[in-house]
Amino acid sequence: MNLNYDKASIEIPESWRAKAPIILSAGLIFLVVGMACCFLVPSKGGDYTQALKYLTHSYLANFFYIFSFALGALFFILMQFLTRAGWSSSIRRLAEILMMMIPYLAILFVPIIVMLFSGSSALYGWNASPKDMENSVIASKATFFLTKEFFTIRTITYFAVWILTASWFFRLSRQQDESGDAELSSIRQKWSGPLIMVFALSVSFAAFDWLMSIDADWYSTIFGVYVFSGSMMGFFAMMIILCMLLQNAGKVQKFVTVEHFHDMGKFLFGFIMFWSYIAFSQLVLIWYANIPEETFWYRVRLEGGWKTFSYGIIPVHFIIPFLFLMSRHIRRSRTLLAIGAVWVLFAHWYDMTFLVMPNAGSAEFFPLFGHSLGGIGMLCIFSAMFIQRAAGVPLVAMRDPRLPEALSYANPIL
Amino acid sequence: MSEQKPRKSIEKKMPKAFGWMAEYQDENNLLAAARKVRDSGYTKTDAFTPFPVHGIDEALGIKPTILPFIVLCAGFMGLATALLMQWWTNGFDYKYIISGKPFGITPASIPIAFELTVLFSAFTAFLGMIALNSLPKFSNPVFSNPRFDRATNDRFFLYVEATDKYYNRESVKELLGGTHPDSLDEVLEDTTPTSLPQPVILALLMLVVAGLIPGMIILNMRAGFSTAPRFHVFFDMDFQPKKKAQQQTTIFADGRIMRPQVKGTIARGQLVEQDPFYLGYDPSKLTMLEVSPSVIFVSSQTQAGDKASADTTSASKDEKTEGQQPAAAAVPVAPVLPWIDRLPIDTDEENMKVGKVKFETYCSACHGFAGYGDGLVHKRADALAQGYWLPPTSLHIDRVRNQPVGQIFNTITKGQGKMASYASSLTPKERWSIVLYVRALQRSRNATMDDVPMELRTTLGEDPKSSDPKPEVTNKLEITNK
Repeated sequence: MNLNYDKASIEIPESWRAKAPIILSAGLIFLVVGMACCFLVPSKGGDYTQALKYLTHSYLANFFYIFSFALGALFFILMQFLTRAGWSSSIRRLAEILMMMIPYLAILFVPIIVMLFSGSSALYGWNASPKDMENSVIASKATFFLTKEFFTIRTITYFAVWILTASWFFRLSRQQDESGDAELSSIRQKWSGPLIMVFALSVSFAAFDWLMSIDADWYSTIFGVYVFSGSMMGFFAMMIILCMLLQNAGKVQKFVTVEHFHDMGKFLFGFIMFWSYIAFSQLVLIWYANIPEETFWYRVRLEGGWKTFSYGIIPVHFIIPFLFLMSRHIRRSRTLLAIGAVWVLFAHWYDMTFLVMPNAGSAEFFPLFGHSLGGIGMLCIFSAMFIQRAAGVPLVAMRDPRLPEALSYANPIL
Repeated sequence: MSEQKPRKSIEKKMPKAFGWMAEYQDENNLLAAARKVRDSGYTKTDAFTPFPVHGIDEALGIKPTILPFIVLCAGFMGLATALLMQWWTNGFDYKYIISGKPFGITPASIPIAFELTVLFSAFTAFLGMIALNSLPKFSNPVFSNPRFDRATNDRFFLYVEATDKYYNRESVKELLGGTHPDSLDEVLEDTTPTSLPQPVILALLMLVVAGLIPGMIILNMRAGFSTAPRFHVFFDMDFQPKKKAQQQTTIFADGRIMRPQVKGTIARGQLVEQDPFYLGYDPSKLTMLEVSPSVIFVSSQTQAGDKASADTTSASKDEKTEGQQPAAAAVPVAPVLPWIDRLPIDTDEENMKVGKVKFETYCSACHGFAGYGDGLVHKRADALAQGYWLPPTSLHIDRVRNQPVGQIFNTITKGQGKMASYASSLTPKERWSIVLYVRALQRSRNATMDDVPMELRTTLGEDPKSSDPKPEVTNKLEITNK
């Protein structure tokens, strides 16, 4: 196939690369200032336990917020090969770059491991000394499963699984850029099935370990799916914004058509619904069973000033984006879809805050303000990492055998 | 097609023409031709392809359908139906406590709302699609062309209908001819006979006859008699290799299948301490009666409803003959047990609340929320008017009011007449709480001015807005908490 294209049109903009260090430093500043804000909470004579709690919880929530984009990208790639999708060939490389950010993002998890080995129990209550947990129900869990050693081993395993999968797929994709060998697609198609199962298990367990174990008394078997659904939603919002920003900078204009935006918008809409379905499934079982050891998780989210915030997740994360993105006309309009995607990015951050922050303590202004700054900081760091990762990589897999399909397909008129 | 019937006799042999159909070898030609036809202003067009062709709807100039909006409306209708239905049944028309959940719309209503939204939307989408496409269409004139069979295989067809506003036989032929079709045919009326073939009629008839068979069999079974033993489809389900209560066995030496209690053990729930709290009467005073334990047992069973245990003979007159107790003499004289008349639990608000909740959960179904014996079960049975319904006892008749608390407790524990035992559902403390609540109910329905708190006396009956001044005091809790 002969595609007339300008090689420069599928490279990351030079201006972006020039700005990367600035974005990174701005992100770090935001993050540090945000952390410092957590210490503005009234503390009793140099006791910073509560401040540390806010800080660590905020860091975890913001870390997972940006990490979920990369996780979503990995699943998206696996899913595209599993279903042998043609439509996404022209945008797949962007998702591949997002997926290849997992090794970079893994660095951001190191502080949490370091914190665990320093003996702090600010984030993970199960890391307290056995004496402190003597009368706690988590004591039995903290003897084997929730120990810092085993937790670290598991974390390394998750990252290993994701990084190996992502790098292998990325390598084959880059090889195809050179050779155009269709066999390279077949191999990935063949392995996407088993790998998607490994992915599902690892994401579920990572969600249990990283996010659910901040409240080790509580358990919800659907929690992994909950986190996954939110991550996918965030990923599609991120993809839409990324494609639009690149096009505004004069890149990939021929390769991302209104049909791609429409389809990503559909995915976005679908995962909003899926998240709501999962979130409600979790709620209704707990509400109906009405067992204290399960309901208290919601109680924590309805007390200490969190009530308005927690109820807010229903309109923010479901009603508003659901109704807004329902129409085909909105999904096919650049401006309106961009508004929807930005809103969903915010809603995903809101969800992460809802999952993590109430466990740190009551809703105080300064920690929440710091948490918001931290979220902006993490997004900046994420952007800088993306630019760094995308440097020297063509933004479209030009020799993918399914590319012609991606460039010519159209959504039926409904 | 009936509007333009050719009248001329010469044209009688000429089949009616429905339009032109062009055939193409690949979808690109089809798309190009479709665009050309669309740009020429024709709207009554259609394309037939062996697989979905991307962009064909745009090339044909198909307008977006209104279906999504109909589906959206149907979805909202489903949502509203579900919420209204649940609010009406559970929150308004038939308020009933189900394991302490609140009335009306609860999180549990949302799955139903979700399902009905989906159900209404899905049905509307499916039926709306069928209706908007004017389906089912059993035949289409394009079928008359034998070449059209390849539309499901490897050929692409474009069809311009004669009903189009701008249709002109010659110009359409020219237009389609200019798109380089493989063939261009006029779509003609199908002239093959339209009557059903003989074998089809025969097969239909046979189907009708076969359809009658099950009905005949059922009719035969219902009307006829048979002495043959019943056929057991699941033999080992009808005759299970297990023993039931009271049956014999060879496994144990004593031949009984029911095993006696092992010495020195107490079965779960059978621990009844010799204490008024568990019995309702004072066992230490039993010795004064000098009767055997079996008589006491029977007495506690029969005295649950006091002397009205003879009610079975005069069931329907129960209310009228209340004070007279005519059948009491017929019952063998049983000793009156030493019922306690002081509650063994505290008369406090907490117990009163427990009693209210438990009463409304377990007792109100028959006895009614106010204890008049007018619960929902009674109302339903009354409405059915089957004749053998024994109304639940009103708790405000003298007989019940004069019973010692121990006896009411015993009734709840052991049951009486049709009333089942509630010992397994309620702990002794909860039963006593119910007794406390029943006492409060009784007092509230027979209250005097002395029962009203001093500060409220002046306000009683003074409300000019109240069109129905009730002499009874209805605020139960207030009285009992005094």
